[in-house]
Amino acid sequence: MAILEVKNISKSFASLKAVDDVSFSIEEGDVLGLLGPNGAGKTTTIRMIMNIIVPDSGSVTLLKNSEENSTNLIGYLPEERGIYRKMKLVDVLLFLAKLKEMKMHDAKEQIDYWLERLDLIKWKKKKIEELSKGMQQKLQFIATILHKPKLLILDEPFLGLDPINTNLIKEIILELKAGGTTIIFSTHQMESAEKLCNKIILINKGKVILSGKIGEVKESFGKRNIHLEYEGKEDFLNKNKMIKKFDNFGNYVEIQLEENVSPQDFLKEIISKIQIKKFEIKEPSLNDIFIESVHSQNQEDDHE
Amino acid sequence: MNKKIWAVVSREYFTRAKTKGYIIGTLMFPIIIVFLFGGIYIFGKAFQPSTQNFAVIDQTGRIYVQMVEMLPDTLKNGSLKFSFSEIKTTDENLEPTIEELKQKVLNKKLTGFLVIPENILESKEVKYSARNVSNFDDLEKIEWAISKSVSNIRLENLGYSPEVIRREMYAGYINLTSFQLTEKGEVSKSGVSNFLLTYLLTYLLMLFIMIYGQTITASVIEEKSQRITETIISSIKPVELMMGKLVGVCLLGITQLVVIGSFVYLLSAFGAPFLLKMGIETPKLLNIIGNLQFTPVVFMFFILYFFMGYLLYATLFAAVGSMVNTTDEGQQFLTPIIFLNIIGFFIMITVAQNPDTPAAFWASLFPFFTPSVMFARIAVSHPSLPSGAVLSIFTMGISIYLIIKLVAKIYRVGILMYGKKPSLKEALKWIRYK
Repeated sequence: MAILEVKNISKSFASLKAVDDVSFSIEEGDVLGLLGPNGAGKTTTIRMIMNIIVPDSGSVTLLKNSEENSTNLIGYLPEERGIYRKMKLVDVLLFLAKLKEMKMHDAKEQIDYWLERLDLIKWKKKKIEELSKGMQQKLQFIATILHKPKLLILDEPFLGLDPINTNLIKEIILELKAGGTTIIFSTHQMESAEKLCNKIILINKGKVILSGKIGEVKESFGKRNIHLEYEGKEDFLNKNKMIKKFDNFGNYVEIQLEENVSPQDFLKEIISKIQIKKFEIKEPSLNDIFIESVHSQNQEDDHE
Repeated sequence: MNKKIWAVVSREYFTRAKTKGYIIGTLMFPIIIVFLFGGIYIFGKAFQPSTQNFAVIDQTGRIYVQMVEMLPDTLKNGSLKFSFSEIKTTDENLEPTIEELKQKVLNKKLTGFLVIPENILESKEVKYSARNVSNFDDLEKIEWAISKSVSNIRLENLGYSPEVIRREMYAGYINLTSFQLTEKGEVSKSGVSNFLLTYLLTYLLMLFIMIYGQTITASVIEEKSQRITETIISSIKPVELMMGKLVGVCLLGITQLVVIGSFVYLLSAFGAPFLLKMGIETPKLLNIIGNLQFTPVVFMFFILYFFMGYLLYATLFAAVGSMVNTTDEGQQFLTPIIFLNIIGFFIMITVAQNPDTPAAFWASLFPFFTPSVMFARIAVSHPSLPSGAVLSIFTMGISIYLIIKLVAKIYRVGILMYGKKPSLKEALKWIRYK
């Protein structure tokens, strides 16, 4: 059963088409990565899901079958982050928990647990303005997950966090995923997306250019790279009809084959020419897919 | 009201109620009152007038008894205000006696002395000598007592008996009591304190509406400028957030008004009697406050019109807050709203004196003037209700409902709008957004 169904939503700001006919749906337990370069329409899409912006056309169906007030089942970390600077940490968290209609007792328990976990417990009674930016980020993350949401929507959750805290947050996201929480998050950190998501949607210029399960996306992208370490002359690389392009890094070379050439044939071809130390067929990384797809779409647009 | 709105109400209330500014603002008035009373108590005791001793040389032999009888005034502590002693002397001894009395005055054994000449009936001159002759109130009383005594003697000389004179004179006194005509009958009260009360309360009412209205603007701008809105809006509808804010800040205002109102009430009801009990004369200023007809009913209307006036204005203030990014930007939109309030105040000043004209009736039904003009009419007409009072509650209610409906639409768009502040025209367009 789809937890969220987005059908053909579009939104324009003045002459700019920020989101153009975007559709997708996610099932319970999915972790969806909303990927795209800056200004692709990720935040606008998320805001439309959250009903903060009303789409010009299309529809969003969110947690249709739940009896509870659906806002209570959602945890939303907006890109525009801010919190009452003059209030104490614990008061802010209690306030936000009350807005989700949490029971006082549960809220207090959860607050202590998460403050401890994210190393903020000694700041519990301090005012927010005394916290560093990173701490405020972590606090905001706690506020998002405090009420154990069924659906977590995180807009750039790692923005402004150092690697240690980024890992901490990733760890928690994986934990929530294991616990069955459905998660949508936007990012342009492909590495994080690759680790966390089972589904991705790649948006560029408001349009979906790729979507689906991560394995399927990679498969459909088709391009496999060969990672080759060898000894011998590098002549075989030049003017080889099987190779579409290659990057020589000295110790090794990354090779992309022509569409109709299988790695098997390529291996046969080169085995007599050089001494192979390592031959590995690598799936394209999300990063490759991202750059390639965005690049080719931009070129297409330029031709139009 | 749902739990979420209450969460906003209580955050809005408690975070603000805990600020120094609010606590000081609320307690300032009572503290001033306490100091005032304390001051009056301490200084009143220290500067309490003591009994004044007068010597009287009554050469007629008939005035002294009568005038003393007419001056039985006592001080608050129960002792006599004036104490007289008659000095008997002969014509030959008059000069030395006067010299002796002068010495006593200079030595402060006497406050002063009076010489009533034998031919007082013709000369009408009495000599009073003292160190201090600026206590007009007291001297006027003594003058009055002697004058009456002289009149009495003249009448006696015409053959009337003292009893007849006393009876007839007494029968001649009249009292001017003012009565206010109302539908429920006549009610006596004094006009001055009532106007004073009306102006004072109406001024306070409008001041509070403006202060708390602007608190709303600040509160909305705070959430906007600190980018908090989106987080909140993911849990609560914008209109609920707005209502929560309006109610939370309103409760702050009502708390403050109840504290101050209770003190004014205690002051007017128990202030003067309390001081009297402590044996201290009440200053004239406090007497006026004591005469204020600050009844629970007037107070109830005060709170009611604060509540409604506040909702009406604060909703507009909330709209302004949602449209702008800084307080400075808001000023341009706030000014006309404040102006509207001031116009109401000017109308109120005239209407308080003529509360029953058709113009007063219509002005008091215009929602933005109702809190000031209608409240003034109610206070002046108290205890009867002026025409349209009940109607005004309905018109206000409907206006508030419509304004909230309208502003909710502007608010919803405005709080998520960053960047350049919109013109009024653009903001009005938001109303038509889906």
